[in-house]
Amino acid sequence: MSSINNNQIHDRLKILSQIEPSSESTGRAVQRTRDALLNKANVHQYTGTTIWRNIFRNPIIKFAAAAVLMIGFGYIGGRLSAGQPLDVEELRAALESSLRTSLEPALRRDLTEEMNERWQSAFATNCAQLKDELQQQVRRDLMEFATQTLAASGTMTNQRLIELARLIEAARIKDRERIETAFKQIEFNQTQLGKSLLAIASRKNELLDIKEN
Amino acid sequence: MRDRQKELLELLDKSGANLYALLTRLTLREDVAEELMQELFIKLNNTSRFDKVRNRYAYARKTAINLAFEWRRNRKLNRVGLDQISEPASNGSSPLNKLIRTEELDEILNAVAKLNKVPREAFVMRYIQQEPYDYIAEQLGKTPHHIRALCSRASNRLRHILEHNRSQSFVKETHNVINQ
Repeated sequence: MSSINNNQIHDRLKILSQIEPSSESTGRAVQRTRDALLNKANVHQYTGTTIWRNIFRNPIIKFAAAAVLMIGFGYIGGRLSAGQPLDVEELRAALESSLRTSLEPALRRDLTEEMNERWQSAFATNCAQLKDELQQQVRRDLMEFATQTLAASGTMTNQRLIELARLIEAARIKDRERIETAFKQIEFNQTQLGKSLLAIASRKNELLDIKEN
Repeated sequence: MRDRQKELLELLDKSGANLYALLTRLTLREDVAEELMQELFIKLNNTSRFDKVRNRYAYARKTAINLAFEWRRNRKLNRVGLDQISEPASNGSSPLNKLIRTEELDEILNAVAKLNKVPREAFVMRYIQQEPYDYIAEQLGKTPHHIRALCSRASNRLRHILEHNRSQSFVKETHNVINQ
């Protein structure tokens, strides 16, 4: 087991202290951060009161609210001048429907925008983590693919080796058969040759007998 | 534009390069340092305490150190093997040397990550940022004598952590060999 001493630690720390990022990457990082901050400047921290304040910053909504109030006051004035008792329920219903029609679309739009901005902000914050996770996932997939490819190529190699062994065996058997045939032919030829020699010998004996007679 | 954003943009202009260099030294990766830099300023923008802080740069540096070591801890938990080590920020001669150098520096930084927060900050400022003791003392609101003691203790603790890590890995390797 190797141990580490103070000098080694200090050497490594010195190397760490000498690491300097390039000026291009520093400039890029500062610019990216600046852009993120400037984008963030448009994103407000919404609380209960600021939502209303921001909603009423829109002049259309201001006019709509003013119109609703005018209608309300007109209705109340009309009812009062007519000398009839004020129907609170009717007034409430009229105000409610009027408010709903004028404010609901704007509220929906503002809330959607707020949700989008929050999502974008959260995504920017977690970007580094997502990048790391994606990188790891890609590596894992590549490793898996490499393992499968190796396994498949191993199986293919085995099949080819078996095929080769089979072909060699077949060629060997065929060679043996040919050699056997050749031996049989030689044997047959030898027999034929023996018979021929015997015939020649008997013929020669016959010729000699004739000559002696 | 809000005052907070103005202040942050000023801080970025004045100290952005230093903070980015610190993040690069602590992560050994420029791409990660870039992401963490962005995360740092977004975090500062959303922190309610930032307005009450007297020394904005010191606060940003402390947050940057915490972010970098948090990233190291998360990466260590997710790590599969050596193949995940990316290109180091330092210059090396050959790929093998680069790999060995990065491993050595990673070993040190992972051990530094195990130190407590205040000694770790002092240690990083002293040994990685090469700041003088007086400056560190001023930044952390302590005396130079106290900072010297903190750095010395942190250095001893770091050596113990490294030796412990090495003995652990030695035991693991022996166990693997016996099993095989």
